[in-house]
Amino acid sequence: MDQWLEFTRGPLFRLCFVIMILGLLRILILDFIGAVKLYRSVADKTIPWKLVLSRTLQWLFPIKKIGRSRPVYSVISILFHIGLLIVPIFLFAHVKLWESSVGTSWITLPFAAAYVLTLSTVAFGLLLFLGRVFNKSSSFISRKQDYIWPLLLLIPFLTGFICAHLNISPAFYSFTMLIHILTGNMIFVLIPFTKIAHCVLMPFSQIINTLAWKFPPDTDKAICKTLNKEGVPV
Amino acid sequence: MITTQITTEEKGKAFKSQRKPEVIDKQKLNVRYHIEDFDVNDRPRRFLESFAAILKHSNYKIALDHFIRMSAKCSRCAVTCQVYQATGDLKDIPCYRTELLLKVYRRHFTVGGMLKGRLVGIGYLTDGDIQEMAESFWNCTACRRCVNDCPSGIDHGLVTHLGRYILSEIGIAPKALVVSTREQLEGATGNTSAIPLPALIDSLEFLEEEMFDEKTVHIKFPLDVKNADYVFFPAVSDFLMEADTLMGIAAVFTATGDSWTTGKGYFDGINYGLFYSDRILERVVKKIDVETRRLKGKNVLIGECGHASRTAKYYLPGYCGGKDALPVINIMEYTHKAWKEGKLKLDPNVIREKVAYHDPCNLARQKWIIDKPREILKSFCKNYIEMAPRGEDNICCGGGGGTVSIDEIRPYRTTIGGKLKADQIRNAGCEILVAPCANCKKQLKELVEDQGIECEVIGLHDLIYKAIIFDKSLIVENKEEEAKEEE
Repeated sequence: MDQWLEFTRGPLFRLCFVIMILGLLRILILDFIGAVKLYRSVADKTIPWKLVLSRTLQWLFPIKKIGRSRPVYSVISILFHIGLLIVPIFLFAHVKLWESSVGTSWITLPFAAAYVLTLSTVAFGLLLFLGRVFNKSSSFISRKQDYIWPLLLLIPFLTGFICAHLNISPAFYSFTMLIHILTGNMIFVLIPFTKIAHCVLMPFSQIINTLAWKFPPDTDKAICKTLNKEGVPV
Repeated sequence: MITTQITTEEKGKAFKSQRKPEVIDKQKLNVRYHIEDFDVNDRPRRFLESFAAILKHSNYKIALDHFIRMSAKCSRCAVTCQVYQATGDLKDIPCYRTELLLKVYRRHFTVGGMLKGRLVGIGYLTDGDIQEMAESFWNCTACRRCVNDCPSGIDHGLVTHLGRYILSEIGIAPKALVVSTREQLEGATGNTSAIPLPALIDSLEFLEEEMFDEKTVHIKFPLDVKNADYVFFPAVSDFLMEADTLMGIAAVFTATGDSWTTGKGYFDGINYGLFYSDRILERVVKKIDVETRRLKGKNVLIGECGHASRTAKYYLPGYCGGKDALPVINIMEYTHKAWKEGKLKLDPNVIREKVAYHDPCNLARQKWIIDKPREILKSFCKNYIEMAPRGEDNICCGGGGGTVSIDEIRPYRTTIGGKLKADQIRNAGCEILVAPCANCKKQLKELVEDQGIECEVIGLHDLIYKAIIFDKSLIVENKEEEAKEEE
């Protein structure tokens, strides 16, 4: 078991983490290249930067958006995201692992805060899952991944909590820790290829939309030619 | 803003098709709007060919790639969408509508989708998918209110716009829009309302006489004046249906003394291309550019019309010269500037009714024109009231996205599309609703009529015409004598 643990938090973790970074870089670069191509192809180069920036910030820090639509869901979602980001990055045990492997460390969460945040993230994740199941508009538009993601994200939180805070046998500890690391690794690999890619793409939605509404000139002739519609009346 | 869902009876009335069953059978398409006959064979293949051609020559691919990676399916848009709120039909959720096209894109235009599709052997576009898109994309009013509530930033309005564009390339587009556009681009009159130039001239002369009778001021509609500061393009339907708006605009120019003109070569601001085809959009925008340059005008001036203003403002630079394109302004911007500079005097004792302002989506959603008309109204309407939500979060009139021009779906527009707006007007209790947009005005007039709301729907310049105070130097003292002299 120890060898499995060493392998999953060593080479396998590094591989999964690199896949995530490269995958996210790929979609970021594709988005960036797309935006540049879009900008170059249009004649109207004016961009309402103030509006784009304010709308981007409004969604990165969506406090003002809470009351507009599905307020309960919005609050739960925001709190869930906070825990999801803060706990894995600032957990004392995680930071120590980084420090031992790459020699860099940063501030860590106090024990009590980590305790509360982990449990609340699990609770909010479950609520999001239940909301998706029981809200008829949500469930109607949901795909498989929309149900799987909240549950998958909860596994490392739950297993991490069990290992850190519960008095369990060494064998059970190792098994739970293995699940914790494996699901964490799996999440890293899946992030760039699923909807969780929004973690890096979201800040670019407003500028992509703004540019996408600018249409390149002379498409009328080009499309008519491609579709053999030249000279065809309206 | 909370609304109630419509009853089953209302739903039946709203969705009742006026199309004959034999036409539906012949066209193999069960939608509520009329469509001109088109090739019904092999539609999925032709849809995909058109989609591919559009992707090749446009920039939609970049946005679609972004959307398919981002979509979180949170369903916040369901709460915002006034169509879904009225019908309660899950297929009206904006995110579902968007997915109709995104799944075609994913399956047929992405490597992963093509591989998965071939391996599993499913997902190929069918006639049923096209039927659903043809219905769904025209249920939407293209108001883009849902865009402001999508955390992922998916522009459902853009996807609906693209879906309609592809459908139009295989012949599926509302007949009302296609016929009008054909007249505008290829017809003898060159405008969507098919108004012949002599009829236009007669109408304007008649209006000038009427204004002289009412105001004893020589208010003119200058025609084909070269080198004017502003070349005017209203929604051409205003010449037939909204004379008061035009008279208000002419009155403002008389008060300011600036030079303006309407071109005899082309005088239509309407651009249905925004609603169903980028190819049409481009051709119509270019007509405005050609006419303004023929007259050597300095600015393009668009009348009280949301989509006409948006198409000219945002696409003239894109299609006609980039940064060298002619400047475009909406008439409300001009009037606001004149009012601010003190060139426009308005009597605060004329309008005593409760007045509210409706934001046209195409002017407000991008925060272009929101406060300027309100400032003018508040300056002379004693009983101005504000409706909520407003501005960039406004509620659509229910006839957006070209649907207002499709007369056969009026029951749908006034029962479903405009349900939330009707509730808002009723709650506000306004006696006059100012709607500075030809589309909104037509829809809101039909809405208040069908919903039994006591409220007059008019344009901003209709009110200005009533309240305008002309400089004494412009007023003809002895009207009868001058009339005799003219005779």
